[in-house]
Amino acid sequence: MAEDMTIESYLAAGGVLTNPVNVPPRYRAELMKLMATFVDSELAGAAGFADIINQGPGIKERIAAAKIVLEKTDNADRVLRIMGEFGANTQRYANHHPWTARLDRSADIGASRSEHDMRLAVFNYPIEGWVDAVMMNLLMSRAVIVQLADFSMISYQPLAEAFRTIAPIETRHGELALEGAVKLVELGQADALQASANYWWPRVAASFGTGSTERTEALRAMGLRRTGNAEMRTRWEAEAGNLLDSLGLKRP
Amino acid sequence: MARFHDLEVTDIHKTIRDAVVVTLKPANGSASEFDFTQGQYLTFRREFEGEELRRSYSICAGKDDGILQVGIKRVDGGAFSTWANEELKIGDTLQAMPPMGGFFTPLDPSAAKHYLGFAGGSGITPVLSILKTTLSREPRSQFTLVYANKGVNTIMFREELEDLKNLYMGRLNIIHILETDAQEIELFTGLVTQEKCAQLFEHWIDIAHVDAAFICGPEPMMLGIAAALRAHGLSDAQIKFELFASAQPGRARRKAVSAEAATGANQTRAAVTLDGATQSFDMPKDLSILDAALQNSMDAPYACKAGVCSTCRCKVLEGEVEMVANHALEDYEVEKGYVLSCQAYPLTDTVVVDYDQ
Repeated sequence: MAEDMTIESYLAAGGVLTNPVNVPPRYRAELMKLMATFVDSELAGAAGFADIINQGPGIKERIAAAKIVLEKTDNADRVLRIMGEFGANTQRYANHHPWTARLDRSADIGASRSEHDMRLAVFNYPIEGWVDAVMMNLLMSRAVIVQLADFSMISYQPLAEAFRTIAPIETRHGELALEGAVKLVELGQADALQASANYWWPRVAASFGTGSTERTEALRAMGLRRTGNAEMRTRWEAEAGNLLDSLGLKRP
Repeated sequence: MARFHDLEVTDIHKTIRDAVVVTLKPANGSASEFDFTQGQYLTFRREFEGEELRRSYSICAGKDDGILQVGIKRVDGGAFSTWANEELKIGDTLQAMPPMGGFFTPLDPSAAKHYLGFAGGSGITPVLSILKTTLSREPRSQFTLVYANKGVNTIMFREELEDLKNLYMGRLNIIHILETDAQEIELFTGLVTQEKCAQLFEHWIDIAHVDAAFICGPEPMMLGIAAALRAHGLSDAQIKFELFASAQPGRARRKAVSAEAATGANQTRAAVTLDGATQSFDMPKDLSILDAALQNSMDAPYACKAGVCSTCRCKVLEGEVEMVANHALEDYEVEKGYVLSCQAYPLTDTVVVDYDQ
């Protein structure tokens, strides 16, 4: 049997890795970054949303918000456990950073990350009230769904499986956001929703990153990426735009 | 983090000339830690000439066998597998971490599924555990095994598989594909490639009714089989892989000991390798290796910058560094020269580090 294939050429040919034992160092590093980005974003997203629960206008809304906080934390845990198999100290990790910390609403940080965690830039901005939370969740969950479609096919099988489990949960969060938004429109809050959409649209769009093509190619060769940043952003713009249309709002 | 436990060797026997089956019994009341799921593996550690080696081997026992058993095939130049095949004996103690891995699907006693397993050589070990457990716990399910080997005399668990065929009459189907030994049916000779799979799916395997497939073998074989399965309509969620690279290195080398000591000056000459390219620059000793690399426009990997996640791990090839915090690397990794670059500050006047190792 031909056994002289390198891991690199195996990955480039679409091969799948299944445990930390034979993961090459650079692959390990990129995989860890990808997982840290997801975990930090979910933890920061859940932490930001936790403060919003009590602002829900009714008990149903508060249940929805609480469910989102619970499930995003749970999703972070799923991926953090895989990081743990690579040696990350999961207990310490969950507490090494104040996940509720936010910048100013007017801070302009583009796609850059803060110094000490890997959350997507968009999770550094504070949410202002219930309407704002619903719109942020509506736009961002669409972005997460687009990214998870790509991540569900990555070459590290345990993580691909985790993302396949997580994808329908995040999809449901998007549906809850849409239900909330429909209700707000009925209550005459369309203007406030539009203002929030205008605020979050460019910030969510920036979360797709501007990574160089060489970088995307390197990730692609390792099976850690299929779709380029620009292509994913375009897909999100189309899908999120349709959502705004359906609410009678304008695309920013 | 997972801990190592002592396991006593209660039986060891050869299944073929260069592979042993080792039965283990958890010592010191850690039996519950080793309550495995079919298809999982154990990671062992042992010191060879003062250096710790870790090796993973799949459990070959089924859930209902009532024992913990792994198969270890000797690999040319492999320190651990050679030792296990030549020196390990009943009564010895091995150290292993609790079972790990996700090479399985959940079982349901009421299910009537058709599973397809592909094993290449010693890749049979987890597949054997899966098929035994599945046939015993899902009485209405069927299992087809395609088992690739060089020749008849290298087939691990050959007799045990024959016994299982008799035990589960009509529910277990085994197709041996032999690379060099000619067989009555020509299709069963050669390598298991994408084309070979496609031919098997024509007359021998009812691929349209397969619920899940398991593949464990060398890289090219896994690629070929996966491609064939996808081409015949299986989704990624239906295909489970287990890869233990043929390239688990025999022995890791220690880092070179630096001849040069520190002078006390604050500057260090650093050489950092990343993605095959090496950059040299001067850096102050109160800057971390990671920050120095980032300041020099290198795309060095990191995430938490708190010594927790281990994303920024690199290897020190020359010189000495000091880690101010380490919550992720284990002692044996540190001994081999690995450091968390976000926590590592140079002590010597030159340091050479590599993110590619």
